[in-house]
Order: sequence, then C-alpha cells, then structure tokens
Amino acid sequence: MDVKKNIPLILGLSIPIIMILFVAGSIYLPGLFIQPKFNFLYATGENYYYNRHYSVQNGRLIKNEFDYPEDYTGSRTEPRLYIHDIVKNENQEISFSEAQKLTLNSNSQSPDGFEIDCGRRTQGIFFIFVDFSRDCSTRFIKGHNTSKKLNIQLSGSSYGHFQFLGWIIE
Amino acid sequence: MDKEELLQQVRNLAAENLISKEELTRAYDEAFGKKIDLAITKKPGITKILYYIGGAIVFLGIAILIWQNWSTLSVATKIIATLGSGIAAYIVGVLFGRYEKLDPVGQAFYLISALVTPIGLYVVFDNAGFDVGSHGTQSLISGILFGTYLLSFVVFRKNIFTIFSIIFGTWLFFAFTSFLIGGKPHFDELNFFEYRALTTGLVYILLGYSFSKNEKHPLTGPLYGFGILGFLGAALALGGWEPNQNIFWELIYPGLVLGVIFLSVYLKSKAFLTFGSIYLMVYILKITAEYFTDSLGWPLALALAGLALIAIGYFSFYLNRKYLSSKNTKNI
Repeated sequence: MDVKKNIPLILGLSIPIIMILFVAGSIYLPGLFIQPKFNFLYATGENYYYNRHYSVQNGRLIKNEFDYPEDYTGSRTEPRLYIHDIVKNENQEISFSEAQKLTLNSNSQSPDGFEIDCGRRTQGIFFIFVDFSRDCSTRFIKGHNTSKKLNIQLSGSSYGHFQFLGWIIE
Repeated sequence: MDKEELLQQVRNLAAENLISKEELTRAYDEAFGKKIDLAITKKPGITKILYYIGGAIVFLGIAILIWQNWSTLSVATKIIATLGSGIAAYIVGVLFGRYEKLDPVGQAFYLISALVTPIGLYVVFDNAGFDVGSHGTQSLISGILFGTYLLSFVVFRKNIFTIFSIIFGTWLFFAFTSFLIGGKPHFDELNFFEYRALTTGLVYILLGYSFSKNEKHPLTGPLYGFGILGFLGAALALGGWEPNQNIFWELIYPGLVLGVIFLSVYLKSKAFLTFGSIYLMVYILKITAEYFTDSLGWPLALALAGLALIAIGYFSFYLNRKYLSSKNTKNI
C-alpha cells in the first residue's frame, strides 16, 4: 500500500484507535499511582428515613431523636452501620456502640482529597444516547482524576439507601 | 492508433458526452485486474432502490413478528427467525453475488442480513442471560458485526460491506468507549460524547476524502454529509451556553465553520457548503441570543442577526454558483 497516497485513510482509521487508547489510559493509569487511604463509616437500611437516625458531632457518631410521621407505614428498623475497608473494598458491619468509639471526619472530602459519589448512567444504542444521569445504585470513590467502584452494602429502593457518615481518622 | 490519436478520440467522445469519466477510469482499472463493484459505483436506479426498500420491508416484517409473539415463541424459534434469517440472507447474498446480473438482488439480501443479524445477536445474548442494554454487551454485538463485515469486505471486495463496516465500527467505537468509562463519575460523559461525535465526524470526512480517489467515490458524498454534520454539530455543542460556556470552542468555532466553507471549494463538496452555511447561521443566532440580547435589546439583535443570515445566504449562493455549479465539475 502506498502510505503517502493513503494518509487520509490511515489517519481516519488511526484516530478512533488512538482515542480508545487515550481514554483507557486516562481512566486506568492515574488509579495505578494514586490510591485512597481512609476507610469510612456509612449507614444503610430499608427504612425510608434511613438518613435521619445518625449524625456526627465533634468527630463522634451520635443517635438522633427522631419521630416518624404519623402516616408513615414503612419499615421502622434502624439502619445498619458499616465500615468500608478502602484497600480491600470490603464492608464490615459494626454496632452503634463500637462506631461511637471511632473518630470521624464528616467532610464530604477525605483528608487525602477523595469523595464518595454516585455512578453515572448512559443509555442508548449506536451513537444515539438518550440518558446521561446519576445512578445511585452504584457508588464510587473519586478524586485526583480517578475513580473506583465501591462494593457497598446498599438496601432500600433502587436508588440505594446510603448515608455517608465520615472518614475514619483513627 | 498511437497514444495521441487515442487521447484525441477520447476528447472527442467526451465533448459529445458519449463517454464518462467513470467509464474511462473503470476501463483503466480493469487493465490492472481491479474488480469494480458496479452495484455501488453506479448511481442506483429505481429497480435497485426497490430492491433495497424490499429488503427493509423484510426486516420490518421479521422485527414485528418477533415483537408481537415475543412471549409465545420458544427460544429456538426466536433465534432461528432472527439470527437464522440474517445468516440465510447473507448466504443468499453471496450466492447471488456470483452472477453479475443478480448482484443487485444480492445486495438487497446483504441489507436484510445487516438489519436482521443485530436483532438475532440481541436475542441470543438476551437468552444467554446478558444485559443487552449494557455497553459491554453492545460492544460484543457491534464487535462481532464489525468483524464479520470487515472480513466480508476483505474476501468479497464489495462496497456495501464498507458501508456496513463503517456503521458497525461507529457503533463499536461508541459502545466500547462507554464500556471503558463504566459510569465513573470523574468522567463527564456528556462532554465526552460530544468529543466522540467530533472525532467520528472527522473520521468520516477523512474516509470520504480517501474514497474520493478510488472506486468507492460514491460513498464520499454521504460520508462528507454525515461527517460535517457530526463535526460541526459537536463543536457547536462543546461551546456550551452562558454561564457554562467553553470559551475555547466558542472562539474557535467561526474559524472552523469558515474553514469548512472554503474547503467546500477545494473539495467540490456541496455538503460542506450547505452544512457550513447552516451551522454559521446557527452560530450567529446562538451568540446573538447568548451575549447581545441584554446589551443591544432583543429586537435590534434579531435584526442584525437576520442581516448576517442574509449575507451568509448570499455568500453561500455565490460560492455555489461560482465554484460548485460548473457543468464540467462533478460535485459531491
């Protein structure tokens, strides 16, 4: 094949391949060098008011006084508490009394610059995409131009009842 | 007859419109043993158009049959009716393609195959427990189709397989890049979609230009048209809207559009001129609405935009008449 004569063809075929390599590199390479370090505490449960039960004050987990609305007929079980091990990407359920002993940083961003976010959903076929929206049935830890899917214990509706409570400092 | 006499004879025949440039090129290529795919090289007549319409109707029939009886048909019947039909249509296309007179009918069967086989693969993957809406499964389906038609082109050298390869290759590109992103939130997929559309448009233009110099030249016009539509549309979308505008793309856009309009003269492309002019008008309306309605007032801004549109319209008409409408020029 005469390369000089076929430069437009070679360029045309190379551009998508280069773009795929570039995308793959920009997605996977930063994750090889930058890893999140802080585990975090979260609550989840069938209860519709799952995010009203616990909060963090002065770095400690507290249980809130909470009255259900009179017309509420759903689950009243207390949300469960989990520690997420960021290195192993695993969850460990703990009791409220154990969780109270933890020192928590309730900022959405961890001290090393990561935060928890919902995934993104795109639906479509061919190049006709009809939906670019948040998908909170999946959670990611993101920061420093990288993100990693978290294996979170999610309960409740398809949106996933998830309450981030804090980064575990010690 | 020596060479000069032969060339003079060609000039005389061309002046009397008794021989076309395509016929001369084909005769030249045949001397080197190049097999010309007449079915796509020639402009489609009414008979061929009817073949393709017939093919599309067969596809509709199969799709509706499956859709209406989805819950009652067994898995085997669904697969035979879809993937089986697609493969059968492909084989019929190959058999008909062996005879020059039946080749156009064979092309219609290839069309049926290209339309029905994706449904067949969807049915197979769905019954195998795959999530057919996911980008991973779409990458697999489009990859299988792209590979099949690219291989078909290599073996049979028919231009219709080039068209299918481009279509399924585009699908593979979008599906696979979405699969790589995998819903990661640090990636702005809407923005990335626009960049992919921009890239696809550019690739179509490059392929169109590359094909303009060989026997695939009938594909150049559609590739230029879809390419410039995607390229300029994506570049316009990347500019965004105040207050989330992207200054780089908003500033570079007039240069891109004017570049496309001037390229239309070089490439003798009406698609470039038409879409370039339309997108320039859209850009002027966008910028006017975005930045000048508050300072100038909406009515005055609208009047100025209208004058600008008239100027673009005349400029486009002038370029078309002067450079693209010549009787001796073959425009695409």
